[in-house]
This record gives sequence, structure tokens and C-alpha cells, in this order.
Amino acid sequence: MQNAPSSKFVFNGSLNAAFLDELFEGDTTYAETVFEDFLRDLPGYWKRVEAAYQSRNLHELRTCVHTCKTLFGYVGFTDLQEFCQQFEDSCVSQSPEKLTMDYNILSLKKENAQHIIENEYSRLKVFNAEHE
Amino acid sequence: MKTTCIIVEDIQIAADFLRKFCEKSELIEVKGHFLNAEDALQFLDESKVDLIFLDIEMPGASGFELLDRLTYTPRIVLTTSKTEYAFDAFQYNVNDYLKKPFTYKRFLEAIQKIQGITPGQPAPAAVIPTSTATDMEFLFIKAEDKLIKLKKDDILFLESMRDYVKFVTAGKSYVTYSTLKNMEEKLTDPNFLKVHRSYIVNITKIEDIRGNTIYVHGSQIPVGKAHKDELVGRLNIL
Repeated sequence: MQNAPSSKFVFNGSLNAAFLDELFEGDTTYAETVFEDFLRDLPGYWKRVEAAYQSRNLHELRTCVHTCKTLFGYVGFTDLQEFCQQFEDSCVSQSPEKLTMDYNILSLKKENAQHIIENEYSRLKVFNAEHE
Repeated sequence: MKTTCIIVEDIQIAADFLRKFCEKSELIEVKGHFLNAEDALQFLDESKVDLIFLDIEMPGASGFELLDRLTYTPRIVLTTSKTEYAFDAFQYNVNDYLKKPFTYKRFLEAIQKIQGITPGQPAPAAVIPTSTATDMEFLFIKAEDKLIKLKKDDILFLESMRDYVKFVTAGKSYVTYSTLKNMEEKLTDPNFLKVHRSYIVNITKIEDIRGNTIYVHGSQIPVGKAHKDELVGRLNIL
């Protein structure tokens, strides 16, 4: 016997599912839109992060990471938001060596986050199509 | 009638959420969305709204700079992803502070709070709280990286220093980031009177007046033509 498709979308365990459930209130169509917008907007913002980092413009770097932090929040990356906040603080107070290390970690985390959201976006599209 | 608002937010997803929440509530009508403070100010020069959802960190001027430049006082809800701005929000006397991302439930709480407020009450300023600022004998200003309590009766006068205001007491002066216009709106205590575009004076501290100059504790304060009649009217001249 086949199981009927679940009527509740369950977010990836890497995301703050409880918060996302509260944020979207079961509106998975809107969640799909937001995840799509995230994937549309993040690359542009990240280019600015990279440019600021390459030019060692720490003020700009901090501002751009701040923007990315907000974006991460809307797709449930609570932990990554915290890391972004620490990085923003590092832009003010840390040595260039420490900042480089943190930047490399942040870049990896961002890549990982982007892959997760790509997958979640695909899953949401399928889920919404099944529940139209 | 719906409360009219604008959204000042440089992140599209955040603005879209706000717009959606406003529509869902059926309480708020969005008159516009602006990606930066300058464009919002241009709109606000020509149009009035009841409420501004205001991001703080944006390209160009910050949300706080927008508050400093407003020529009237709509209700303000700050939307930011940094909790550290709560302190400044408190000082600017904003109506609420939403940490992004926020839920519809939290949004609704802010709206209900705002709609329970008598129109015209809130005003952006770097002096603490609302109506209590009129009634209490002291106020707090942000200076020297802390909130400093000043007894109103100790304040001799306030002097405008472009984007800052100097509070002068007999023993010390304190400089805070704000405008004299904001101070004038907040300091509704009848003892404080604007006597010049750059000065608000505590009239109980005036020692004497010679021509168009007020003397207060060794300082000379000019009286502007536009303010002279009101000054004379407020003095207890026998």
C-alpha cells in the first residue's frame, strides 16, 4: 500500500524548521517564492561581499555580510545568521589573519547554504505541484 | 480607515514580507516601497503617511538619519536584524522594533500596539520617553557612550551643533547625536523655549537680558527676531 503524500512540508534539518513553520504559517507556495527569491538575490549580494573582501574594504564587507545575514534568516539559517553577526563584529575588531580564516569559513557555509536551499526549492516546487 | 505606510527597506525579500503582512492584516495600506532613505525622504516631502517601516542599515543614509531629517512625526517601526539598535530605537522613541525576520504574529502585535496610540504622539528624538519626558523632572541623553541622566532643572540651555546638540549645565556640557528640532519637539516643558534657531534656553536660568542677548551663567545666547515676542510673552515682566 502506498502512503498518501504528507500534507505538511517538512523542512531540511539544517534549517530552523520551527521558525519557518511559524514564518510561513503553512503557506508553502509563498515559501517557494521566498526560496526562489533567495536563490535569485544571494549571488548578487555575495559578489559584493567578495569584491569588498578583495579590496579589503572592511566597512563595505561588513555591510554586505549584514545583508546576506538578513537573507539567510528568511530561509531558516539561524546558525548562519549568528556566524554572520560574528563576522560583522570581526570586521571591526579582528586581525586581518583571523578575518581571512573567518571569511573562508563563511564562504564555505554560504556555498553549503545555497545548495541546501536549491534542494529545498526543488522539493517545495514538487510538494506544491502535488498539493495544488 | 486603513493606516497608511511606506516601507523603507533595501532587501527585497524583507520588503515583500512586509507588504504581504500589511495586505493580510487589512489594517495597513502600503503607499510605497523605497530602497534607500533619500528616495523615501523625497516621497515624504510631498506626501504624508501614518507609519513608516524603517530599516536601519541601508546603502547611503541610515534609517536613523532619515528620522533626523523628517519634517513631521509619523509612527515608526524599525525593522532590523541587529538587536544592538534597540538602544537607539529607545532613544528615538520609535513605536516598535521588529527584528528581521519576524513572523506575522509579531508584526500584528506591533500594528495593534500602534493603533492603540493616539495619533501625533510619537516623535523621533534622542531624548527618552514619550509623554513622561514632559512630566518627569529628569531626562536621559545618549552621550559619552552611555545614557546620562540630567535633571531638567540643571540644564541651562541647549545649543545646536549641526547634527548634534549640546546640553549645557552649570558644571558640564554633554553632546548628543540629534537635532535641535527634535529636542524642541521632545522638550515640551514650558520652561524650555527656543530663542534662536540654534538655542533652546531654560527660562528659569536667565540672569538678565540686554538687547537681543540673554545671559545665563556666564554664557551669552542670542535671541532671534522671530522668537523675541514669544520670549517676552513668557517672561514674568512686571
